[in-house]
Amino acid sequence: MQYMLIHAGAPGLDDAWNDEAWAALTAWLDDAIGSGVSIEGAPLRLDADATTVKVRDGQLVVTDGPYAETKEQVAGYDVIECASMEEAVGWARRHPHSWMGAVEVRALAGGSPVVHLDEPPAAGKTRYMMLVCTDPTVEPAQVARVEPVEPWVAEMNGRGTRLFGSELEPTGSARTVRGKDPGAIVTDGPFAETKEQIAGFDVLECADLDEAIEVAAKHPMARAGIVEVRPFRSLGEE
Amino acid sequence: MAVLDGVFREEWGRITAALIHQTGDWDLAEECAQDAFAQALRRWPGDGVPGRPGAWLMTVARNAAIDRLRRSRTYRAKVEELAVMAGRETGTSDDAEPDGDADDGGVADERLRLIFTCCHPALAMEARVALTLRTLTGLSTAEIARAFLVPEATMAKRLVRAKQKIAHARIPYRVPPASALPQRVPGVLTVLYLVFNEGYSASGGDDVIRRDLCDRAVALTQVLAELLPDEPEAKGLLALMLFHRARQAARVDDSGDLVTLEDQDRSRWDQAQISLARRCLEDAFAARRPGQYQMQAAIAGCHAAAPTAQATDWPRIARLYRHLADMTGSPVVELNRTVAVGMADGPAAGLALLERLEAGGALAGYYLLPATRADFLRRLGRNEEAADAYAEAARLAGTSPERRFLNARLAEVRSRDAGF
Repeated sequence: MQYMLIHAGAPGLDDAWNDEAWAALTAWLDDAIGSGVSIEGAPLRLDADATTVKVRDGQLVVTDGPYAETKEQVAGYDVIECASMEEAVGWARRHPHSWMGAVEVRALAGGSPVVHLDEPPAAGKTRYMMLVCTDPTVEPAQVARVEPVEPWVAEMNGRGTRLFGSELEPTGSARTVRGKDPGAIVTDGPFAETKEQIAGFDVLECADLDEAIEVAAKHPMARAGIVEVRPFRSLGEE
Repeated sequence: MAVLDGVFREEWGRITAALIHQTGDWDLAEECAQDAFAQALRRWPGDGVPGRPGAWLMTVARNAAIDRLRRSRTYRAKVEELAVMAGRETGTSDDAEPDGDADDGGVADERLRLIFTCCHPALAMEARVALTLRTLTGLSTAEIARAFLVPEATMAKRLVRAKQKIAHARIPYRVPPASALPQRVPGVLTVLYLVFNEGYSASGGDDVIRRDLCDRAVALTQVLAELLPDEPEAKGLLALMLFHRARQAARVDDSGDLVTLEDQDRSRWDQAQISLARRCLEDAFAARRPGQYQMQAAIAGCHAAAPTAQATDWPRIARLYRHLADMTGSPVVELNRTVAVGMADGPAAGLALLERLEAGGALAGYYLLPATRADFLRRLGRNEEAADAYAEAARLAGTSPERRFLNARLAEVRSRDAGF
């Protein structure tokens, strides 16, 4: 079973990366990669570099900023392979993000299996995390009418634009880890108590933001939800 | 040096746009443009103004860029590109498009790329406005901050953030392909109109800078209308701005109070600008693709055509407002329509329409709603009710000239009321 660890942190997160945090991350990666648990993961740019895409009444609506105003921001992710939610939560507890902010643990609900990206993006391409989110202002009846996502997946895979992605199990089964072990606290539910919630994700490789916006706008959930695109961040990059 | 000021306005945008394209570095482009103008300021008074000031400035700015890039060795490829560009330079300042990029919707001016990038929908509106003013018109961060009444540090941060987002999220530096223009042009026009309105509406702040904002918005819209000849709304917006600016001298009296259109001294309207605006609008209408700026310009044109307030063609204005309301669905437009109907068909007809609008509740708290009601009531002789409405409007009004105007009207209806 694959699980997504969503790293969340306050805006000043960069300053929280002290020696202890780096040492913990190194140890985490050593163990998670060494034991074959870690499949893929990357840091992401913070809210200020995110762009939100919606289609309403046939009109494309593009806005600066993240899918929801949250105190903590999505700062990175990992996908791990574990036997159970408990095991995944155990890995989240050891991740330094659990004390630098929070780590939300979500089970993947099928979709394309996540694969390791061992190559950097193709020349001239940028990677984006596309978060597919719910919009509480959209009528449930309309959400129920959302077209199947398969044609979009097939088209974007065919273009080489979509690398992988998956729906996530509903936030009802999410767990969030905060604090440093042995004192870490695990709560039920997502890291942010917003009405908008992350329902799935796709990793895209695009020429530029205009292409990412075009791809996001074509996703069926752009009509009944909120689609956010946020650039990846290379390790060590400012 | 007055000539430098003119050249600055004309050339700043071209130079930064060309350097951003060639180096991909916004800060470097601004610094080098600044270097070039500083050199001009030092040398032109003694050496005389060169024959082609734009080309001179472009060369100096490009050399400054090469210098700076050489010092940071990582940019070798860019230096080479710049050197190649310099070699192709034929001496005119507007040949900065050597590769004729076919993906650019068929248009080739560096400033156009810059306009579309600064006005990208993935940037917050306030960031778009600030970035447009800084990089395209060369207004300094301090001046932009003063115009928008925010601390300079806040404005500086806003600009840094915007440039970072362009780099991090990879907002492309290009004119959108022709197929995407209908989607992107309105956003650009919104930014330009916002800049113009910030300068035009007397919502406080420095008068000189505000007037300057208007001029810069007009100049940029002119560039856009020329570079996008197939976008009638760009011409429509230009016409609208010109109609408004033609009335600028008559809008405020000697004590700084706002003069209503009705009471303005029409001999002070700038007829040359009005006829320029009219030609622009005719040009736009010729495309037969109406839009909200064309409609607004047509309305402004009706006012401009009337030799006296009494001669205003109110039935036509009411008709144009109806089209505009259909296009925008905006309650503010609907409010303006009630004013026009009140003039065309009398205050009772206007009041009836206004009451329907008030019942909708969309404009609750907006001072022009009670101000309009007050005006209808005053003209119907219902002075006591008019006084209440003027008082409410004055309470809600944002700026002191508007409040002074409303209080003057309030005093007028009160004295009339007492006279009965």
